[in-house]
This record gives sequence, structure tokens and C-alpha cells, in this order.
Amino acid sequence: MVDGVVEPILEVSGLVKYYPLTQGILIKKQIGAVKAVDGVDFALDKGETLGIVGESGCGKSTVAKMLVNLERPTAGSIRYKGEDITKLSGRALKTVRRNIQMVFQDPYTSLNPRMTVGDIIGEPYEIHPDAVPKGDRRKRVRELLDVVGLNPEYINRYPHQFSGGQRQRIGIARALALRPEVIVADEPVSALDVSVQAQVINLLDRLQNDFDLSYVFIAHDLSIVRHISDRVGVMYLGRIVEIGKDEEIYGHATHPYTQALLSAVPVPDPEARARRERIILSGDVPSPTNIPSGCRFRTRCWKAEERCALEVPLLAVPAVFRLAPGPAAHDSACHFAEEKRVVPPEEQAPGVLDDLGNGGA
Amino acid sequence: MLLEVRDLRVEFRTRDGVAKAVNGVSYAVDAGETLAVLGESGSGKSVTAQAVMGILDTPPGRIGAGEILFKGRDLLKLKEEERRKVRGAEMAMIFQDALSALNPVLSVGDQLGEMFVVHRGMSKKDARARAVELMDRVRIPGAAQRVRDYPHQFSGGMRQRIMIAMALALEPALVIADEPTTALDVTVQAQVMDLLAELQRDYRMGLILITHDLGVVADVADRIAVMYAGRVVESAPVHDIYKAPAHPYTRGLLDSIPRLDQKGKELYAIKGLPPNLMNIPPGCAFNPRCPMAQDVCRTDEPPLYEVDRHRGSACHFWRECLNG
Amino acid sequence: MPEQPFDQDRAIAGTGMGGAMDLAATEAETLERTPGGPLGTGPGARPRSLWSDAWRDLRRNPVFVVSALVILFLVVISLWPSLIASGSPLACDLAKAQEGSQPGAPFGYDGQGCNVYTRTVYGARTSVTVGVCATLGVALLGSVLGGLAGFFGGFWDSVLSRITDVFFAIPVVLGGLVLLSVVTSNTVWPVIGFMVLLGWPQISRIARGSVITARQNDYVQAARALGASNSRVLLRHIAPNAVAPVIVVATIALGTYIALEATLSYLGVGLKPPSVSWGIDISAASPYIRNAPHALLWPSGALALTVLAFIMLGDAVRDALDPKLR
Repeated sequence: MVDGVVEPILEVSGLVKYYPLTQGILIKKQIGAVKAVDGVDFALDKGETLGIVGESGCGKSTVAKMLVNLERPTAGSIRYKGEDITKLSGRALKTVRRNIQMVFQDPYTSLNPRMTVGDIIGEPYEIHPDAVPKGDRRKRVRELLDVVGLNPEYINRYPHQFSGGQRQRIGIARALALRPEVIVADEPVSALDVSVQAQVINLLDRLQNDFDLSYVFIAHDLSIVRHISDRVGVMYLGRIVEIGKDEEIYGHATHPYTQALLSAVPVPDPEARARRERIILSGDVPSPTNIPSGCRFRTRCWKAEERCALEVPLLAVPAVFRLAPGPAAHDSACHFAEEKRVVPPEEQAPGVLDDLGNGGA
Repeated sequence: MLLEVRDLRVEFRTRDGVAKAVNGVSYAVDAGETLAVLGESGSGKSVTAQAVMGILDTPPGRIGAGEILFKGRDLLKLKEEERRKVRGAEMAMIFQDALSALNPVLSVGDQLGEMFVVHRGMSKKDARARAVELMDRVRIPGAAQRVRDYPHQFSGGMRQRIMIAMALALEPALVIADEPTTALDVTVQAQVMDLLAELQRDYRMGLILITHDLGVVADVADRIAVMYAGRVVESAPVHDIYKAPAHPYTRGLLDSIPRLDQKGKELYAIKGLPPNLMNIPPGCAFNPRCPMAQDVCRTDEPPLYEVDRHRGSACHFWRECLNG
Repeated sequence: MPEQPFDQDRAIAGTGMGGAMDLAATEAETLERTPGGPLGTGPGARPRSLWSDAWRDLRRNPVFVVSALVILFLVVISLWPSLIASGSPLACDLAKAQEGSQPGAPFGYDGQGCNVYTRTVYGARTSVTVGVCATLGVALLGSVLGGLAGFFGGFWDSVLSRITDVFFAIPVVLGGLVLLSVVTSNTVWPVIGFMVLLGWPQISRIARGSVITARQNDYVQAARALGASNSRVLLRHIAPNAVAPVIVVATIALGTYIALEATLSYLGVGLKPPSVSWGIDISAASPYIRNAPHALLWPSGALALTVLAFIMLGDAVRDALDPKLR
């Protein structure tokens, strides 16, 4: 992007994470590597939500961990307001951490069962004592509980006394405590019940406006990602294969993997059963220790040709669309990119939900 | 009717009191039909299925009342021995987590073959041949070679196929699938769901699909039973329910899911939490969360009103709900 | 404060009903923002912590109170045995050998004509010292080494694991015979040292395992993402969640150590007379079990009661540190 006008708040380039596979009892010998993340680039603008979707093992959670510095990348850079945070340590790292916080997937293991809610949400202030003076901390914790829609009187309770959705709110309050600018949410609602998911998604939406947050929202559920994201990146086997604005991906996907993924999502509309075309992929995702040559999707792709085994497709606007500006002209890493409508366009969908939406809320 | 559950009640005695997990569930499945039982955790959908299969842990569980009529016989009145014959041969279950449902120290061929040895008295060799056949049937590539492999050597989707093969081995009349694809990735989910639907058609089985996923339901089910706090609150053919739900809980669920084909405004969120099963609110269990609740909802438990010949709703105001 | 924790996952385990719904639906209503009331006041204003809650819980637990009182009593008589027993445990009169209960000797006399009551009271010091010191030593050394190995992993972890394997291969009694036979001092310290030396790998292995389990939890990641230091993560997040199995095993081991001291004394490599210990008395009384069972009964009973008290104390402490059981 050579826009140059607005500098992205987070800029990731060439991000790589390999986990060595070792053998041996005392002296470990490397015999290979799990290529969890294998060259990821994206940028996050201020106030924006970038959704990252992919199936299990595609590396999306590893990307999340690197963004909040829980894992050190093997290569590549993560720039926060222009500064590469992967090289930081000590005090400088601690300062950056205040600004990039994480919401975890599992509300049952992400809260220490032996700490009270007050201690959990207040811990950020103990780690960063200069954030809030000691006397005000308790008050701030109560305010945070209120902000995420929990009763501030619950401050002395323990996590197990709350339901999954409430625990996730506690996790969100903890992430908000230091007033970060970026929140990385790794599958924040996938462990929750359907009726509670909506509450948490709406909360995240509201907080984004109230606190001027930028989100990296990682999930496997394409419907939820569409709901919350401005832009969406699709990951496969450690790489982003397609990235673009919400409508560009959902309405005008050009990468075969994205198309297959979208077509496989069950839509809560029995009328669509007949109308929809299903692309059923054969086989399983290859092992990240042994990634196919050329295009990594070719082993499951119905379009694969010899070129796909030889040449790695770059993540860029495909040549066929380069001259025709339109929603199909977005980054897609495929030699044979072409548009294919897999999600029925909005106006054709029966208006059930629209009617209900007005009456229900 | 192949299976008819009538007014089933199950409770769990715990240290802190009695949890009423199932409070008068009734539903029915016919041969060749797919009934989706939809509900959130704690709605009693799995407990009901376990009671039907006869694999409920008692204690702490206890079946308080009700009938489970399978081909006209009340399963609850059968002796454990007779019950065991029904299980496996006439009804089978597919679990969510195939890795823990399969025995890790036996090869999949042995586990599949065991069904034939135990129930059909086949020789080991014949049983092995049938196992390969079954693995072919659920489209596991290279079945003849892979029959000797152990469960951990298969991917999640392949393991779920083996579970399906096991459930279908004796061609049961009824299969209960408890969240069969929840643990799988979307693309694999589609493969497995398609396979299950195809086999169900071929064998003309009755299928009870337990799920929380409204999308999966829309894709495969004929009828839906929506459960809340241990009761069926709405029961209807799949097309009707998505077009116009007759219960505010169903309506809330449909409204609260983001959709792939629509860019959302704010999602409708059902307020509050599912009830504590030890302390279910009087009247309609959904009343504290219901936008339509009136005084009568707080005092009188609604029966399952007949909306039309194929449809029931446990809401005093189902008419208003149906009309939006 | 009406607190009725109900852990549904636990209560109806294995029934396929996940999701805790601990707070009643009526309470859920209040979730939607509490109206009015200035923040920072109200009944929940006083901060609470795991330790203060655990202490509050323990004080109300009869098991804890009883076992703590028993242990307190043992400690007091270990320090000042003359408070409840007059005379010397070494003053024996063969003429009274094997005599039964009588004034001045409620527990009777043993085979050497020593006052069993006096000897049981004086023997507490040795047994309690050995049990408590050996357990403390083992628990400290084992959990620090095991905990650090589990936390940091890597090369030193592998080294430590192999060392513990080696120690596990040493038979305790044989090791005691070899190592303690060269010691000439007739105090409890060589015995304690020996127990710590052979005992720490057991605790170390358990501590390592439970630290590794605790370390994988997301709350540890969450603390790290906030910028928490290693010591904070270890002390605040991992230790409280990893300590339960260590407490259980350590309190059970405490009984074993008291019994081991008796065994070693019996074999003649632990304490030797004129030292007084339950172990010495039990082994001395066992040949006369038919004629004078009381001489065996009282020190054995004291030993059993002590071990039981420590195990119950350990149980109560472990439960108190688990908020889910409250």
C-alpha cells in the first residue's frame, strides 16, 4: 500500500514462525520444523477490524500470539506505529504491551481460578503500577465491570461462579484495563452458546466505538467474522491466501479455497439448500511439517495444474482483474483466480431475518 | 412412529440439590426422517438422547417419569439385558469427540469387526472383511490398508467417518448423532454431514441430530425440536420454523446469529442467561428473558399448543409470535 | 453475603451438559447494569484474596480445627514434654516390666520396665521433628527444583528428570543401611538428611508435572501478555494452582517419614537408645506383643493419630485453596 496518508497502527510483514521438531533425550537434534506461520503480511488501520479466518492448524492463533508478543517470530516484523516490536525487550516491550492486548478463546482456562474477579481485572495495574495510582485501582476495576455489563458488586467473586459468557466479559475487562489501542481477539465467542455469542459480539462492537479500538479478530466462523469485520484475510496452511474488504471476500471471492470455505458454511435458511452450490473439498489439510511445493492449496484444488506445483502464487491483485477496478480486484494468491459467486447475494435471501430484526430488538 | 419419547423427566441429584435436566420432553422420529434437536448447553438435549440410548449415568441421573417407545415397545420397561440387545443393533449413537469415543489401543478394524463378532457371531476373518467394506462405504481412502491403523493415525474428519461406520455397522433403525460435526473444520464438516445424510437416505434410518448450529439444521433436517430448560418449546417442520418461528426463544436464536450472506447491523441478543436447572423459574422457564412476557407467563407453565397439524409451540402467545 | 457456588460441570459431570449457569436467572437480570449507587461503596468494597478467603474457610472447617489442635498439642509436648509427664523416660525398673496400667503409669510398663506413658510423651519430640523437618525439607527442595524445571523446561529439566530417575532406583531401606551405618552421631539430623536426600525426587516429579499442567493454561498466557515477569507468573498464577497435589503427597509422605524413622531405628541405623522415639519403642515392644500389647499399642496409636492429623490438615488446606469447593 503506497497510500501514505494514514499510517496503519499495526503492520505485519513477512511474518514466519517455525517450531523445531527435535529428537533425543538430553541433547536435542532438530529433525524438521512445523511451519505454523510461513510468510504473513497485513496492515491494520486505526479503528478498523481485520478478521482472520481459517481452519484449525492454519496458523491464525500463532499469528495472534506473535502480535501480543507471546511468541517470538522466526522471521519478519510487526510494526506498531512504525516501530518493530519483535525486537523489543524489557521496559520498551512492557510499554508496547500496554497498547496491544488479547482476548482469549476459552473463558474457562483464561481466568485464574484462584483469583477473585477484582484481582484478575486489577492485575494489569499491578504489573504496570504507573497506569493508575494505587488508591484508584479498585474503583477502576468496578468501572470496568460496569463497562462490560457485569454487576460491580461481583468484584470479590471467583471465576467459577460465572457462566461462560460472563467470564468472557471478565476477560474483555482485563484486556481493556490498560486502555489499549489494539485488541487481538482469538476466537472470542466460539466457546459460547449461540444466544450468548450475540451479547459478546455486540459488546465488542460497542467497546470499539466507545474506546476507539482497532481489532484483529480471529475466528473460524465465517458468518461471525463477516458481521464484525471491515476487512477479512483468509489463511491456509500458514499463509494468507486472500485478503480484502468484507464484500470483496464474501461477494467476490477469487481464490478457490475461499470459495470452498464459503460454500461449506451452513446457512440458517432451508430454502437455500437447493439454490446453493456446494464445493466439497477432497482430502485433508496437509501437514505443516511438509508443505506442498508451489501453491500450498494445490493438493486439494480442483483447478490445479502443473504451474501450481512449480510456482508459488503471490498475494497480489491477480493480473486478470488488474485493469478492471471492481470488487474482484483485491489481493488473492492464485494463478487461476476467477470470480465465483458462492454466497447468495443479500437481496435474494428471504427477508425473514430483516423482518424479525425490527420486531425483536 | 419409529421412536416416540413421551413426557420424559430426568433429574440429577447433586451435592447442592436436584438439577432438573429434562422436564417433560416429547418428540418423535419416523423411519427415514431427520429430527434436529436444537438447544444450548444445559437445555437437556444430550441428556434426553442418553436416556433414549440407555447410557445415562444413574446415579447421579434418575429418570423420573415418561415413556420411550421404540417400535412400539417402552424401552424404560425392558430389562438391562434386552436393552443391551437393542443398543448397537437397533439404535446407535455418534459422538462429538471421535478421538475419545474410539479405543486408542485397538486398531479401527478390530473395533469395527468387534460389532460383527459380538452381535452377529461372525468369525474374525469375516468381520475384518466387513470392516473394510464399511470403511469403503464411508469413503476412507485405502480402506484395505488402513484397517490396521489406530485411531490417532487418522485425521479428525476420518475419525468421525469411522464413528459413523461403527454406528451404521449393524444397520440400525435409529441413529442419534450428538453434535457430530462440531469439532470439525467447516470444509470437513460439510463432507461428513453430506455423508451422514446420504447414508441415512440409503438405509432409511431415523436420525436424531443433536446440535446447537442453526445452519447445520437448515441444511439437513426435516423437523426441528427446539429445547429450552429441559422442555421442547417448539416443534415444527424445518421450513416453517425458519420462515416464521412460533416461540420467542426460537425467534431470538434465529435473530442472534450473524449471517454469511448479510452484513450485520447490531445483532439481536437474548438478554440474561439460561436458567439454573436447580431453580427453574415458575411459569414459562423462558419468561425472565422473554421480550413478550406477560403476567400469565410468570405463573402458568404453557402446554405445547397445537399451531397446526405438524407444529407445536409452548408459548401462551404463539399467535402473536408467529405474526411477528 | 449469600454465596451459593454451584459448579454444574462438576455436579453433573459427564452428562453432556456443559456451561456453568451458576447464577440464577433472577440474578442474571441484575447483570444488565446496576442502577444508581456510587461505585466503590457497598458490601463488596473490601478486597479479598485467595489466602484470606482460604483462612476464613479453614477456621470454619471442623476437620481443620480438630487436626490443627492435635498438631498444636503434639508440638507443645514435643517442646515441653515435662508439662504433662513427670519423671525421666530413661528411668526404667525391670521389676515392673510388662505391668499394666496403674497410678503414675496410665499406659503401663514395657518389657524393660520403662513407663510407656512417659516414653510416648517424650517420643513425640523425635517423631514430630523427623516427620515435620523431613517433610518440609523434601517439599521445599522438591517443589523448588521440580517447579523450576517444569517452568523453564529445556536442558536442565532433562538433567533433573534423569537425576530423579536415578534416585527412584535406590531402595530406601538399603540406602539407609549403607548411608546411615557410617554415621556416628545419635541425633535426628542424619536421619532427616537421609530422608530429604532420598525423598525430594518424589515431590519434584509431582511439582514438575503440576507446574507443566498449570503453565499451559490461558491465564498464564494472559498474564504474560500483560507483561508479567517470570516471578509474578510463577508465584501468583502457577504456584497456587500447582500446589494442591504437592500438599496432598507431602502430608501423606509425612506419615511415611515417621514410620521410616521407626523402621531405620528398628534396623539399628536410625536412632539408638538411649534416644527416645516411637519407632524405637514400637520395635522394642513388638517381641512382647502377646504379653504386653499395651507397650506396642500406645506408641503405635500416637503414631497413627499424628499421621492422620497431618493428612487431614493437608486435605483441609488443599480444599480451602480451591475456590470451587467453597
